[in-house]
Amino acid sequence: MLLLEYLDTVSTDYTALIVIDKSKPSVQRQPWRKMLRVLAFVQRHKRQENVARSGHSLSGIIVITRTFKLRLFLFRVRSLSMDRLTGWLWRYRRRVLFGFLSLLVVDGAALIVPLVIRGAIDRLASGEGGVLTSGLYIVGLAAVVMLFRFLWRYFLIGSARQIERDLRSKLYQHLLRLSASFYNEHKTGDLMAHATNDIDAVSRACGFGVLTIADPIFMIPVAIGIMLSIDPRLTLYAIIPLPILTVFMLGFGKVIHRRFEVVQEAFSGLMEKVRENVAGIRVVKSFVQEEGTERDFAATNSTFIDKNMALVRMWGLFEPLIELLGGATMAIVLWAGGISVISGSISLGDFVAFSQYLMMLTWPMISLGWAVNIIQRGRASLERINRLLAAEPEIVDSPHPQATHGSKIEIKNLTFSYPSRDGNAPALSNIDLKIEEGTTLGLVGLTGSGKSTLVRMIPRVFDPPPGCVHLGGEDVHDLSLAVLRGMIGFVPQDPFLFSASIAENIAFGNPGANTDQVQQAARLAGIHDEIIAFPEGYETRVGERGIALSGGQKQRVAIARALLLVPQILIFDDPLSAVDAEREAFILSNLREFFRGRTAIIIAHRLSAVMHADRIVVLDKGQIVERGTHAELLARGGIYRSIWDLQQAEREVNGEPA
Amino acid sequence: MSQHDTHDDDVMGKAFDARLMRRLVHFLKPYWKMFLVCVLLILVLSGVQIGLPYITKIAIDDFLTLPWAVVTLDSAPHVGDPIALDEGRYLVRTNEVPADTRKRWELSGALTAKRYLFVPQGSAQEAVASRYPEAFTPVPGGSFASEEALRTLPAVDTIALRQGAITGVIRLAILFAIALVIRFLFGVAQVYLLQLTGQKVMYDMRRQIFAHVLRLPLSYFDRTPVGRLVTRVTNDVAAINEMFTSMLVNLFRDAFLILAVIAIMFHLEWKVALAILALFPFIVLAAFEFRRRVRSAYREVRRQIARLNANLQESISGMRIIQVFVQEIKANERFQKINVDKYSASMRQLLTFAVFRPLMSFLSSFAVALVIWYGGRNVLQGSLSLGALTAFIQYVRMLFEPILDLSQGYNVLQGAMAASERIFILLDESEEDRGGGEKIGNLQGKIEFRHVWFAYKDENWVLKDVFFTVAPGSSVAIVGPTGSGKTTIIRLLLRMYQIQKGEILLDGVAIEKLDLAFLRSRMAVVLQEVFLFSGDIMENIRLYSEIPEEEAMEAARFANASFVEELPNGYQTEVKERGVTLSVGERQLLSFARAMAFKPQILVLDEATASIDSQTESVIQRSLEKIMEGRTSIVIAHRLSTIRKSDNIIVLHNGKIIEEGTHEELISLRGLYAALHALQFAEG
Repeated sequence: MLLLEYLDTVSTDYTALIVIDKSKPSVQRQPWRKMLRVLAFVQRHKRQENVARSGHSLSGIIVITRTFKLRLFLFRVRSLSMDRLTGWLWRYRRRVLFGFLSLLVVDGAALIVPLVIRGAIDRLASGEGGVLTSGLYIVGLAAVVMLFRFLWRYFLIGSARQIERDLRSKLYQHLLRLSASFYNEHKTGDLMAHATNDIDAVSRACGFGVLTIADPIFMIPVAIGIMLSIDPRLTLYAIIPLPILTVFMLGFGKVIHRRFEVVQEAFSGLMEKVRENVAGIRVVKSFVQEEGTERDFAATNSTFIDKNMALVRMWGLFEPLIELLGGATMAIVLWAGGISVISGSISLGDFVAFSQYLMMLTWPMISLGWAVNIIQRGRASLERINRLLAAEPEIVDSPHPQATHGSKIEIKNLTFSYPSRDGNAPALSNIDLKIEEGTTLGLVGLTGSGKSTLVRMIPRVFDPPPGCVHLGGEDVHDLSLAVLRGMIGFVPQDPFLFSASIAENIAFGNPGANTDQVQQAARLAGIHDEIIAFPEGYETRVGERGIALSGGQKQRVAIARALLLVPQILIFDDPLSAVDAEREAFILSNLREFFRGRTAIIIAHRLSAVMHADRIVVLDKGQIVERGTHAELLARGGIYRSIWDLQQAEREVNGEPA
Repeated sequence: MSQHDTHDDDVMGKAFDARLMRRLVHFLKPYWKMFLVCVLLILVLSGVQIGLPYITKIAIDDFLTLPWAVVTLDSAPHVGDPIALDEGRYLVRTNEVPADTRKRWELSGALTAKRYLFVPQGSAQEAVASRYPEAFTPVPGGSFASEEALRTLPAVDTIALRQGAITGVIRLAILFAIALVIRFLFGVAQVYLLQLTGQKVMYDMRRQIFAHVLRLPLSYFDRTPVGRLVTRVTNDVAAINEMFTSMLVNLFRDAFLILAVIAIMFHLEWKVALAILALFPFIVLAAFEFRRRVRSAYREVRRQIARLNANLQESISGMRIIQVFVQEIKANERFQKINVDKYSASMRQLLTFAVFRPLMSFLSSFAVALVIWYGGRNVLQGSLSLGALTAFIQYVRMLFEPILDLSQGYNVLQGAMAASERIFILLDESEEDRGGGEKIGNLQGKIEFRHVWFAYKDENWVLKDVFFTVAPGSSVAIVGPTGSGKTTIIRLLLRMYQIQKGEILLDGVAIEKLDLAFLRSRMAVVLQEVFLFSGDIMENIRLYSEIPEEEAMEAARFANASFVEELPNGYQTEVKERGVTLSVGERQLLSFARAMAFKPQILVLDEATASIDSQTESVIQRSLEKIMEGRTSIVIAHRLSTIRKSDNIIVLHNGKIIEEGTHEELISLRGLYAALHALQFAEG
């Protein structure tokens, strides 16, 4: 019972869901494809078994047929080979096969044309007619070529486009599963490069690359065969330059590609230089550095020119050299073929057909070298993508999610270090903290004291060690991620908004919310009045193509976004730092009603934002150094007190009059 | 989410604009000689290109086919070195008979297609011919043999008999090879020269645009996104370069090639040429229709790629939000929709190519078939030689490529025109006023604002009747809520913007009268957000100036930026893109060092409000006091200590100065400042 065993290794839960009955053949037979889909589904979700619970259910009865073992084996082989170009091509094998067949027809028809021309010329030489028939033959063959050229382009290049689409989709879905620590280690630009350049390279290898490999494989032997049948000696002479072309293309392609990349880099350098100086124009102007900046730019500018000319030196040789070698075969034909015609060993028609075949051969010989490069590059790109796909999400769903009971947060002896920063002192050490359901905790400390790290442990943005962070009586690791995160309204330090309308941004976590709810959230966050002052109100677009919101406006939109979730738990990571103190106080007092009955953690720089919290904790270098109520902490005269005094003094002059 | 992704940069206008072209040509002028050489090289190259099939044609007509034929006439013809065989039949050298005469003979049936070899008496070949009496028929002056008869001879003897033809073919093959080498050398030279010219033109354009951008007034930068300016200097210039290098020069080459091919076809046989030309409109129509469709398909693909990248970029940077808000499924749906849109767009593009490319090659094959049929009939009629027929086949193929290229040129031209239009709009923006050129010999540093009114736009006054004086060497603190106009005062003092009413005086001279560079170089500015350039710390302190390293280090030490010396590479430490490796406080100190290195008489400072830990805070505070010492300073102050130490405090509210005086004076004034002070104190 192969399948049963297999499922056993996956998860015992699913054996109950999938009925496997070999003894009763009367059960509905499913096509093996469907069975595999079910199986693939099981395999895909072997680490996320909550899928079944969260609404998806596996309803399908698998009947094991005799061929099932083989199919299963093939399936495994295929899912393995997905790491390779051939694996992807296999996935679209029908289209690729049609493409190849069309290619054969095109090449076959094209190879007949010189023979028709030969016949016509020989008949003309001997004064016979029949040229109309020859002409019609050529038109007929051309029509066949036209039709099948369309087909191979459509099938072969089309399947490359599909591979591109699927690979990109797969990569994106994978990116969605990866954790914050992955994004800390990988630059956005690099990830973008994988998702664009590398996928393009794979697509090119699967389309153009495969085509240019397949075309010569048929074309070259047949063409050379026909040529040999005309004149073996002449054939040997004439094709001498052709392999040189291929070898030349192989090496040349690499050098050109390298230099091209250098040029691209220099171009980015140029762009960055301009960007930087335009962005820093105030500094340039204030310090009267226009001329110096110009000189500096001139250097970047001429570096770019130099790199370009280095490319041109190679690339400029490219076409002329191909023409030279291609032409050399013609010169040889003229010489040796001409003598053969004169001596009567071949006819004039043979001579013309011969030159036509050579012309037909030149391009495939060139592209063969080119194709090897393209496929190598595609393979390297796919490897890079596969490395990315192999990155396992560090934060995975619990295999046996538990239900929570309330929203009490308990942190027990939590010590945490960022994986990428080894050697340093832990970001958090020995944190013990209890936040009772419905209470508010104020979190205070200097920059780098670990406040943000601590709150990120709760929705598992970063993963705490097991047994340290509990929510509603359960370890956060034992909760389903969707449930855990769904309970929490999180307002991060950096209020990231998407380029969409303000309304869409507020409703981001709760797309079903109606206009009233969105506006209510905005009102609570103290941003409603400013939004309706925009010409397009809530439909105003933000981000790159829209208007630029101020830092304070963005922060308040982010607050509205969290409020609209109507979460049981609220985490505010200093979300009003860009708003002035008056308004901060106003917004927080508005929110006090909303906070009632909810568990909340507020991180703030200004103590006025946390002074009303039920309890306040002061962090310093990853440790809790003080805890208590506002009054208690003031009385204590520690760090809290000194920050308070400093801020009081500052507030004397810093506020806005009401 | 993002439906509005169309770039305004993508909008295409007309393909040719004489006015723009004239301005563009201006950039070419310094290199016109190089450009001319390129065009000349191209003419030579096209000539060689046309010549190659003609060499083959000569080989076929003169050497690969036998030249003699029999003509039946009443009297000996005047052409073709006639040799009388018997009554009324003459052996003539066909390639020396004019085409119309030949045709007349053909039509009347006087000339047959059979070809013969004639061996004259006394020639070297006579000995060989004499060995085959059954093949050679003796005539006066020599002997002749038919083509069929020759085939019966062994190859060695055929070769010996036709030694002249073989020498001729070998000569032509060598000529062919020489032509190839010329084509190679000239081709390489042409590409190199052309690219070099293009690169030089690009270099000049970029330099000029960049220099212009640097001198634009700040108000321009306020309303123009950075990315747009970057595009002008980089991509738009590249589009123009493409026009110069690929399109303009190819235009010459293609046009010349087409004309030359047509001319040579007419020279070979005008009727066949005319038949091919009849196809011309269809080819041109198909080519341009193809380009039109490719263009729109391509634009759609580009649009979808832009959408895709924007979405991807945003997803990656906003991944934390997506995950924390559990929106993975929705995000995926959105991405997949765009992914599929992009796929459909690229499939549409693929279809366009899949239809038109084969169609074009079908038309090309159709033309070849036409040559075989119609040309073949002309061969039979004798008005076209076999060599000319094969040359025709090659010329037909040569005709197609340039037409496709030309239609491609239209796209490039359109892109370049749009790009140059954008560039010239930018270049036509007026630069900032460089001032009256006056300089003050011994600057005291007295600053006066007299009834200054200023608005960024229309009549939205940001400053209203601002009036204050800063005595030389004293300091003034500007206090007020956000949006009260504090930063504007600093900008106006540096003449970043032009005031509408009133006067700003430096040592009693209106700043408009001063040389702009002089004015700015006497003041050092520290902005709230510190901008660092890529490069090392030393470069960031002295910027592009000639300040010696030693002085820059001194400035850094003076500004308490001694942390630099503790860095592994000291002053040579790279501040990576936007200086991410440095903390906010450290960046602040670096900007003080930068200000000090320029030894200003006047210090203009926008105090940072960003959260800095208290230790750095006190270092910054001490540094600040040091650098303000003895200098005329204008500080937008946030910290109480800075405000208290100022000689004068200006309270700004809605662009107006409401109160002015020292801290004590303002407190005792019991006005807004005092109220503010008291309120804050009481509330806490």
